[in-house]
Amino acid sequence: MISREICQRVLQKAVSTGADYAEIFAENTVNHSINMIANKVDSIKDAVIAGAAVRIYKGLRSVMASTVDTSEEGLLRCAEAAAEALGQGSAQIDIVLKERLFGDIHPIRIVPASVSNREKIAILKEGYFAAREYDDSIVQVNGTLLDVDHNILIASTEGLYAQDRQIRTRMMIHAIAEVQGETQTGSCSPGRRMGLEMFENVVPREVGIHAARQAVTMAGAGYCPAGVMPVAIENGFGGVIFHEACGHSLEASSVAYGQSQFAGKLGQKIANEKVTAIDDGTIPNAWGSINIDDEGTPARRTVLIEKGILKSYLIDLFNGRRMGMESTGNARRQSYAYTTTSRMTNTYIAPGDDKNEDIIASIEYGLYAKEMGGGSVNPVTGEFNFAVNEGYIIRNGKICEPVRGASLVGKGSDVIQNIDMVGTDMAMGQGMCGSSSGNVPTNVGQPLVRVSSITVGGR
Amino acid sequence: MDFNAFKQLVIDCCEKAGITEYELYYQAGSSISVDTFRHSINEFSSSRTGGVCFRCIVGGKMGYASTEELSPAQAMAIVTKAADSAALLESEEQVFLGEGGQEYAPLCTTPYGLPTTEELIAVTLQMQEKLYAANPAVIDGCQANGIVEQCEIAICNSRGLDLQYSNHVSGLVALGVVSDGKEMANDYQIKLGKLDEIDTDALAKKAVDGAIAGLGGEPAPTGQYPVVFDPDAMSALLSTFSGIFSSEAAQKGLSQLGGKEGEQIASEIVTLVDDPFHKENPMPINFDAEGSPTYKKNIIENGRLCTLLYNLKTAAVAGKATTGNASKSGYDAAVGVRPFTMFIAPGKVSEAELLSEIDHGVYIHSLGGLHAGANPISGDFSLQSAGFMIENGVRTRAVKSFTVAGNFYQLLKDITAIADNCTLPMAMGMTAFGAPSVRVDGLSIAGK
Repeated sequence: MISREICQRVLQKAVSTGADYAEIFAENTVNHSINMIANKVDSIKDAVIAGAAVRIYKGLRSVMASTVDTSEEGLLRCAEAAAEALGQGSAQIDIVLKERLFGDIHPIRIVPASVSNREKIAILKEGYFAAREYDDSIVQVNGTLLDVDHNILIASTEGLYAQDRQIRTRMMIHAIAEVQGETQTGSCSPGRRMGLEMFENVVPREVGIHAARQAVTMAGAGYCPAGVMPVAIENGFGGVIFHEACGHSLEASSVAYGQSQFAGKLGQKIANEKVTAIDDGTIPNAWGSINIDDEGTPARRTVLIEKGILKSYLIDLFNGRRMGMESTGNARRQSYAYTTTSRMTNTYIAPGDDKNEDIIASIEYGLYAKEMGGGSVNPVTGEFNFAVNEGYIIRNGKICEPVRGASLVGKGSDVIQNIDMVGTDMAMGQGMCGSSSGNVPTNVGQPLVRVSSITVGGR
Repeated sequence: MDFNAFKQLVIDCCEKAGITEYELYYQAGSSISVDTFRHSINEFSSSRTGGVCFRCIVGGKMGYASTEELSPAQAMAIVTKAADSAALLESEEQVFLGEGGQEYAPLCTTPYGLPTTEELIAVTLQMQEKLYAANPAVIDGCQANGIVEQCEIAICNSRGLDLQYSNHVSGLVALGVVSDGKEMANDYQIKLGKLDEIDTDALAKKAVDGAIAGLGGEPAPTGQYPVVFDPDAMSALLSTFSGIFSSEAAQKGLSQLGGKEGEQIASEIVTLVDDPFHKENPMPINFDAEGSPTYKKNIIENGRLCTLLYNLKTAAVAGKATTGNASKSGYDAAVGVRPFTMFIAPGKVSEAELLSEIDHGVYIHSLGGLHAGANPISGDFSLQSAGFMIENGVRTRAVKSFTVAGNFYQLLKDITAIADNCTLPMAMGMTAFGAPSVRVDGLSIAGK
């Protein structure tokens, strides 16, 4: 993308007013998507994202400038703008860039850009029509096949010069069912850090059926009752509970500024001893995986909580300075136009030793949250919420009728104490996590867990 | 390469490829952001983004392609990609490009100039000190954020449309973080305007008071009560469900308002307005994403649905004229539909009078999880809330970590009172949402 020599000159300009660290992040990304609605291919989008950002640090101050002009002149202007914003001073460091190859732990067999739109449409249609034809009550289906080819280059005054190519693919099917005038939705959106070989394992037809089955089930369901009760949360996207209740509050972007319920609590027991939680960006081809993060630190596996004890935060280079801690390889940004900060990759509660049947049988009256939707959290207070897309009442230890329209709310520090049973079958679900550095792909995951007590927002 | 040079290359490519119906939509923006920690600047960022979306009609279908890289290779590539994708589209709806030569309302852009970087830094640091000064409960972690945004849009097409727009805005964000020794709470407030005219004392006080209100407080008791949404909460709810007023959503079966124009869909006291030129909209614009003139309209008048919002394509399907609400969520997005400044018209009673009618109820001032706990298609919502109890006609103790649940389509009918305090707190991208305090009966609260 940009030669080592140019990077060297740009970094030299960036530190000319006394910065002690400078970094270039350049990107060339192709976002491609095909959308179907009303049984027809409705739109095909192809967008090239191209630009670069220069970021410099001096002590605990950071300056970032980005540009769409990636010529040497454009980059030098960008570096100069950053250097000027830092103020007066003179260069303190020499820069020698050495190319580093981190290797690729996420091999891609079928690069989406090399496959015709016609073939991609055929894959999408398989999923789309499986949903459409699932049941007469399905009145509309919206389907998207998305592929992203994200090429990044990072060079820094620490001598780093590295590139990474991150390809990911995702199918999203949303189905709408109407039963006796009641409209409900169902969705299924699997994604991988993979090419189109993803669909050798994820069968498009099953994606469509999954979405349609959920819509039909929910259209026939009554409203979820409101109140405080035990909840069993299923594996896969159920892991959003840890992501919201705890994960965001472990990000250095909150912790470094005291804006977290878990700041200053390393080594302390913050969760139930049943809870071990891990962030792992190295899982081959998983949706949230990376080879290197957006500051060029190799991805790693970080144990965040071990048997209830807080072991680590999620840290990027800049916030790590304030915390006196090294990066955990979690620096991420949506694109060059965003300032990098600490984010999750694939974050999950590790398998425990409770049997699924025991978890359900232990609940006299409560909710079985089979499929979760998205959520959000205020890391300062830990107050979080997330939606239950498919829920069932548990009565006398048995899963009974489906219920709709529920959400779960609570305080992260309470809820992770209340996760008192953890099953054995871990699975992950895919999401786009939105925060200050934009939307990044993240996996959430867990086995079936029991939360002994949580507020269920129903009616 | 600048947009005008790139435009010429694309036009040449179209000629060579025999494409006669096409459009270029250019959008560029730059933003400067400064934030503080303790008593100094923590981060400074200056970013510039921009791209071109090309679309063309080939064989009666509209193909799209876009790029941020303005180069001869990309000029050729976007024309080829758009034409190729058009050939694969199956939708049989008629597609349109806007016509040149239309009349537009005069445009009032931001009356003040941009601050210098030094001014932005100085005001942001001053804002930070105001936060510390606002209350002894304020702790490190409070932050001030100064922002400057500039935006440029240009549309030109083969039908003679040639429009340009540029505007800018500056503002301050105050994040109050407080602690009572046992727990922390936070709140933030945004004020757009000329930096040296923003009342930083008032902004700091509002953010810190909001944070302090979040200290203590228990979940509200579970049950059904009259609920009052304050302007912030009602605007947030309105923004979440604003998509149901889109004709595109209605035509695709994604809104339940399809075929309801002319019918009573809300309580008689509800009037919902879309006004592109509302004085509090930070980015008023006189043309939409297809180049059609924008104008003020009532979407709901006294409870009756007057019109959905249309663009050229959806208007043709419905046999109507566009309402000038074509939108693009980003330069690279397909043309959809959006409001510009959508707000519920204020009523005649004060908020205090509205509260005085309620013996036992809940006052909600913040809602969370709107992207997840609300379903615009079914209308169902179940949302994390914080606010106060209402007892004997007045706001009393703070309540938090509870949910409010209901259905938005039903809620519109169950609005029983509207106060006179309409504000526009929500600027989401280029759309601003506003509402007064609103009383709704029949919602469910889940707490303890």
